Amino acid sequence: MTLESLVREHRVIICVGSGGVGKTTTAAAVALWGAMQGRRAVVLTIDPARRLADSLGVGALSDDPRPVDPALLAAAGLRARGRLAAMMLDQKNAWDRLVARHAPSDEVRERILRNRFYLSLSQTFAGSHEYMAIEQLCVLMDSDEYDLIVLDTPPTKHALDFFEAPERIRDFLDRRMVRWFVTPYLSSGWTAAKAMNRTVGFLFRKVEEATGVSALAEISDFFSAMSGMFDAFTGRTATIHAILRAHTTAFLLVTGPEEQVLTEAEFFSEKIRTLRMPLKGVVFNRVHEEFPVDPAAFPGATVTRADEPAVERALLEIGTAPETTRWMARNFVDYQVLARGEALRMEQFRAGLPGRTPFVAIPNFDTDLHDLAGLARMHHRLFEAGTTKGTGRHGRPRKDRSP
Amino acid sequence: MLDALFERRVIFLVGKGGVGKSTVSAMLALALAKRGKRVLLAQMEPSRRLAELLGVDADTAAPVEALPGLFFLTVDGESSLSEYLALVLPIRRLHRLVVTSKLYHHFVAAAPGLKELMTVGKIWYEEQLESGGGRKWDAIVVDAPATGHSLQYLRMPAAAYEAFGQGLVRREAKRVVDLLTDARRTVVCPVTTAEEMPVNETTEIYGQLNGHLGMPLGVLFVNRVHSAPMAPGDVPTAPPGTSSLVEDVLRCAREEAGWTAINRHHLERLRATVPLPTVELPFLFAEEFGLAEVRRLLVHAEGRASRETPAEER
Repeated sequence: MTLESLVREHRVIICVGSGGVGKTTTAAAVALWGAMQGRRAVVLTIDPARRLADSLGVGALSDDPRPVDPALLAAAGLRARGRLAAMMLDQKNAWDRLVARHAPSDEVRERILRNRFYLSLSQTFAGSHEYMAIEQLCVLMDSDEYDLIVLDTPPTKHALDFFEAPERIRDFLDRRMVRWFVTPYLSSGWTAAKAMNRTVGFLFRKVEEATGVSALAEISDFFSAMSGMFDAFTGRTATIHAILRAHTTAFLLVTGPEEQVLTEAEFFSEKIRTLRMPLKGVVFNRVHEEFPVDPAAFPGATVTRADEPAVERALLEIGTAPETTRWMARNFVDYQVLARGEALRMEQFRAGLPGRTPFVAIPNFDTDLHDLAGLARMHHRLFEAGTTKGTGRHGRPRKDRSP
Repeated sequence: MLDALFERRVIFLVGKGGVGKSTVSAMLALALAKRGKRVLLAQMEPSRRLAELLGVDADTAAPVEALPGLFFLTVDGESSLSEYLALVLPIRRLHRLVVTSKLYHHFVAAAPGLKELMTVGKIWYEEQLESGGGRKWDAIVVDAPATGHSLQYLRMPAAAYEAFGQGLVRREAKRVVDLLTDARRTVVCPVTTAEEMPVNETTEIYGQLNGHLGMPLGVLFVNRVHSAPMAPGDVPTAPPGTSSLVEDVLRCAREEAGWTAINRHHLERLRATVPLPTVELPFLFAEEFGLAEVRRLLVHAEGRASRETPAEER
């Protein structure tokens, strides 16, 4: 399989990976490519740095998908046969809308929205970002307006947060659990709680000492107001579970070749596998290229630090100043040493993946990729250069390291 | 420049994901240990990066000595809370009963900010620890979570202090806030790379730390700075018939010159928006990035690297 067929054959593509590896850029590039191929594509990002907004030139994104102006695409020399839309998730707003959608009455809705516990929960609850991303994904799926949905995920270090968010929120809103919080306040106060469970009673007392009564009362009120909404949430969780494991959904791991990043990526892909979610492709960003060299001049066809003089001699043919020649030779050796380390690590990583997983390396472009033209530059590598063997940037075959 | 930092007992490193916070925190911890200090390197989120760099087990609950004088610890909110409850609930059975209850886990997951408060509280706790008539740690270096997150952590104690009525949490929060804002004990250092998005975020972080968070700021670390001696346009183009080796050499030169130009541009922006003393750390070309590379960065940070330090340094 290639990344091209991966995008063709899936409706939902979820880009995962640790922070700072170019996830947002990759997600945008994939959606843009889909649009150029005639798809009705939307890219959803949650990154508060508004990176995607910048790269698509749409300024601040709203909660609803906003079409990217075809004129903008044309200005970047791109022609979309389909459509491209982008949206950035405003977490607070998404919670509010969720409450509005499921609240049984206006009165309950207002009570929840004003609740202090809700106010901080909707912004800080662990996994809340992740849950809202998935929730938004469901909304987009329901709308049927898009046939390619590319989801960028929060830059979390905890791979698990994303995948477990739906279950976590469901557990959190679990009716049985809520009873512990709600009952003591609504019925007979502490004595009831104590009678039910000594631990609970004790904990409540401790918690109350610690937090002050009002905070707990708020929590209690929150849960009692939310209690009408649990069935809706539980239903949602089942839908989400199905979407994340559907055959039309693909997880795309975005990573980089540095060992610090790869350590996290390995953890990530293990996790995805244990959770039985479909990891169907890997993109390596900012990869340095190892150039093939003449084995007659460089033993083993690899450039080492000891080869600097040989490279300098080769440069005599263009007659640069000695200082420049020295720097360029040293720089070339630097790049080759770096590239070799990266190649070895990528190969090792790849060996741990199922055999036919598409695996793409994007070169370390000597420019920031934050605009449409930049995204389009990625396409050549993502979709056209072939995904397993790849050719050099200039059409020359790259050194093949496949076993 | 580092010596001014090392006069404080607690150094927080904050920044966007992937800019090298862990590397910089390891570098500072190494520098402190080298000066004969007993130093705790604490990461506020479980990650394998630092542990692997130091060659220790990431999951230890207590500080482990990774190198002479350098101890490593992963602080996570949940176990810190449990540890804290052990202090206030001295009866062990009761403590176990509480922390193993489902409700407790529910509460920890749900209570807004509690995990964050406890994580930063744990740093405070370690700072206070005494041993043998003095403080247990001469210095604590904290590798904070990625940006949005780390500010959430640093913001939480003040929020808790304001939000909670008289009680335990308020008292704890007060102590932690005092530590975070005490310029004699604490310093916060942003870490970034000289690229567009990290610089945007660093500017935001700076604004918040310097503004309503009121935390004492130290040095700005700019990581992975390229330094080609020429502009991309000055790299010669290959004349027709040039060997592919020379073509590739020129290509690499152009790439390096390109990144150098990008870095310069964003360093300029940083100078305008983040007026802090700045330590630039070079991009290192290494086949593998390990402790030796961290030490090389330290040489640069301490200003011991001269322009021409070939053999030993490269």
